Amino acid sequence: MNARLQKLIDNAKAAWNAEQASGRVRIRVTLDTSSIARGAEETLARLHEAADSRKIDADVGITGSWGFCWMEPCVTVRSAAGTHAVLYGNVTPDRVDELIAAIAAGRDLPELALGVIEGNATPEIPLLEDHPFMKGQVRRLMANLGRIDPENIDHYLAHGGYEGFGKALEMEPEAIIKEVLDSGLGGRGGGGFPTGRKWDFLRNATASPRYLVCNADEGDPGAWVNRILLEGDPHLVIEGMLIAALASHADEGYIYIRYEYPLAFDRMQKAVAQAYERGLLGKDILGTGKNFDLIVFLGAGSYVCGEETGLINSIDSYRGMPRIKPPFPAQAGLWNKPTNVNNVESYANAPLILRHGARWWSSVSDVKEKGTKMFTFSGHVKQAGCIEIPFGPKVRTLLEQYAGGLSGDLPLKGFQPGGPLSGVLPASDIDLPLTLDPYRERGMFLGSGGVVFFDQSACIVDLCLFFLGFCEDESCGRCTTCHGGTQRAVEILRRIQAGGGRDADLENFERLIGTLVWSNCLHGQFAMTSIKTSLKTFRDEYEEHIVDKVCRAGVCKGLMPGRWARRAAAPVAAAAD
Amino acid sequence: MAAEPGLQELRELVAEFQPGRGHVLPALHKVQRTYGWVPRPAIEVIARQLNTTPALIYGAVTFYSDFRLHPPAKYEVAWCCGPACRLRGGEAIREALQEELGIGLDEQTPDHRFGLHVGQCNGTCHEAPQIWVNGRVRGNLTPESAREIIRSLRDGE
Repeated sequence: MNARLQKLIDNAKAAWNAEQASGRVRIRVTLDTSSIARGAEETLARLHEAADSRKIDADVGITGSWGFCWMEPCVTVRSAAGTHAVLYGNVTPDRVDELIAAIAAGRDLPELALGVIEGNATPEIPLLEDHPFMKGQVRRLMANLGRIDPENIDHYLAHGGYEGFGKALEMEPEAIIKEVLDSGLGGRGGGGFPTGRKWDFLRNATASPRYLVCNADEGDPGAWVNRILLEGDPHLVIEGMLIAALASHADEGYIYIRYEYPLAFDRMQKAVAQAYERGLLGKDILGTGKNFDLIVFLGAGSYVCGEETGLINSIDSYRGMPRIKPPFPAQAGLWNKPTNVNNVESYANAPLILRHGARWWSSVSDVKEKGTKMFTFSGHVKQAGCIEIPFGPKVRTLLEQYAGGLSGDLPLKGFQPGGPLSGVLPASDIDLPLTLDPYRERGMFLGSGGVVFFDQSACIVDLCLFFLGFCEDESCGRCTTCHGGTQRAVEILRRIQAGGGRDADLENFERLIGTLVWSNCLHGQFAMTSIKTSLKTFRDEYEEHIVDKVCRAGVCKGLMPGRWARRAAAPVAAAAD
Repeated sequence: MAAEPGLQELRELVAEFQPGRGHVLPALHKVQRTYGWVPRPAIEVIARQLNTTPALIYGAVTFYSDFRLHPPAKYEVAWCCGPACRLRGGEAIREALQEELGIGLDEQTPDHRFGLHVGQCNGTCHEAPQIWVNGRVRGNLTPESAREIIRSLRDGE
C-alpha cells in the first residue's frame, strides 16, 4: 500500500476510534433530500439544541439514508458505553421531544424503534437485520449509509475507503481491467454492457487527453438510487472514478449531476474538495506521479442529457442533444477526445471489486447478472423506499416484502420496471425476476432501478399519456421521428381520453412504433415502449376507450367511468356484485 | 420587474470562465444564482467571454428547463409531474393550484407573487403528491390542502 495513503487511513481510523470511545451518546440524523422533505432539518436542529443546553450529553451529527425513505427522518442513537445502538424512524419534529426525553433518561424509545443496529436485541426492540425490510438485502454499495458522515472523508477512509484505489495503484492497468471483467460488472444505467470492456476501449484509445464521465443525471422519474448514493457516500463514486482513471489512463473526469439534486451536488463538491486536500486528486496523486482532475458539473434540467452523447454535448457544447454514433465516445467524446461514460452505480462498484476481489464481489448472485443492484419503488405502495439486493428476486418480492404491498384496496394492475422508456407490464408478470433478459425479450428493459407499481385505479391510456407527454417534452428535437412522433402519439391519446377515439388509432400507434425506432438515440427509439408493451397486454382497455367510450378506472374525464371507478367509490357494494 | 444588471457588473461576474472548457452551463448557473434569472444582456456578455455567439448561449438557455429569462415570482411553486404523484392524484393538485392562482403552468400572477411551473421528480415519492414552494417539499397533498398552502402564503404577508 502506498505509504501516504496508509497514513491517511491510519489517522482516519485513529480519529474514528477516538470518537467511538468518547463516552458520550452518539446521535446521527439521516440528512438527505427524502428526510429533509419530512422535516429532518428541524429534527436535527432540535437535537443540537438539546445537546447544547445540556439536556442530553450527546454528540449530534448527520449520516446518509438507510433506505427507509417513507419513515424519515431516521435517527440512530448509540449508548455512551458504545455497546447498544438503535435505529429510529419517523422522528419528525413533533416527535423529537419524546426521543430527547428517552435519551436523557438513558432508555430506549420502542414506539419509534426500527431495530437494534449494535449489540443485542432487547425484549421490546428486535435486531434491525430481522426487520422485514432488511431481510434479503445485501448492503455493499449502501454499507456506509446510515453509519458515516457523508461530508467527512475521514469517516470514509476509516471504513475501508480508498483501499481499493490503494490496491489499484500497485497494479498494471490491464490487471485492473481484468479484475473488473472477471467480476462480471455490467453497466448499471440499464444497458448492462461490461464495464471492464468500456474501460479497455478507453485504455486502447490513441489520442489524449482522455476523459471519464460519471452519469449522475438520474432523470427517470420514480428512480432515486443514484441520489441516495451521491448524498450518502460520495467518496465511493470518486474512488471508483480514480480506479477507472488508473485503468484507462484518463486525465480528467466529470461528474454530471442533475439540477433537481442540489444536495447531491453540494455533497459531491465538498467530497471532491476534501479529496484534493488529501492529495487523492490533482497533480502527483499521493506522490505517485499520476494526475487526475475531477470536476463536479451541474445539469440544468434535460432528460436526454442522461443519454451519454447528450451528456457529453451538454458539458462541452451547448444544447444537450445526443450525437450521431459512430464515432463512439471512446473514440471521440468530450472535445472529440476519447471518453468513457459510466453510471454512478457502475463506478461505485469498482472500489468494492478492487478491495475484496472479483470472486467475492460476484459470489453474491446466482444469476447471470453479478453483484447487487439498488432499487427504489413508488406509486400505489405502502412504503416508498430504497433497497440493495442481488439480482434475481421476483418483482413480487419487491412489492410485497420491501414496498409493504399496495396502499389501497384495489388489486394490482401492473408496474413500470424502470423509467418512462422502459414500458409497462401487467400484474400477471409480477413473478418475473429482476434480471435483464426477461425485459429484453419483451422489447423493453429493466432500466436503472426505479420501479413504479399501480393498482386498478390507474388508467392505461392516461399512464401512456403521461409517459409519452414526458418523452415529447424531453425530446431534443433532432429527429422528426421522435419529436413529431411523440407529438402525434400524445395527440391521439388526448383525443381518446376526450372521447374521440377512432378505429384507426391502434393501427396508427403501430405505425408510430415502427417509425420511432428509426430515431437517432434511445430516447426516440424507446419513446413508444409504454404504448407498445401495453397494446399487447391491455389492448381490451384501449378498445373500451375507443369503441365503448368507457374508462374503467374513471380517470379519463371525457368517458363514462367503468367498473373500477365504481368499486373505488363504493367498495362494499361493488364487492357484492 | 427587477432592474437588469449593468454590463460591467456582468462582465466581472463571469470573468473566471474560459472558452473551450465546458463553461457555458457553469456561467449561466452563476448568473441565475446571482440574480434569480438570466437577464438578456448576460447572454451577450457570456458569449463574448466564451468567444462564441449569443445565439449559441441563447440556444442553451432555452434548451434547458431550469433557466429563466424573467425574474422569479416571490413564491415559485413547482408542481411535481412524476409518476408516483400522478398515480396519487397529482392532476387534481395541478387543477386546484391553477384555479386557486388563476394561472397556468409557466405563468406568474400579475403581482409576481406566485409562479407555477412543472417540477421533475426528485425521488421524494414517499410524499406524493407534492409541490415544492421555493424548493421546499410540501407533500401528501389533497386539492384542498394545496389550496390552503397557497392561501396561507398569500395571507402571510
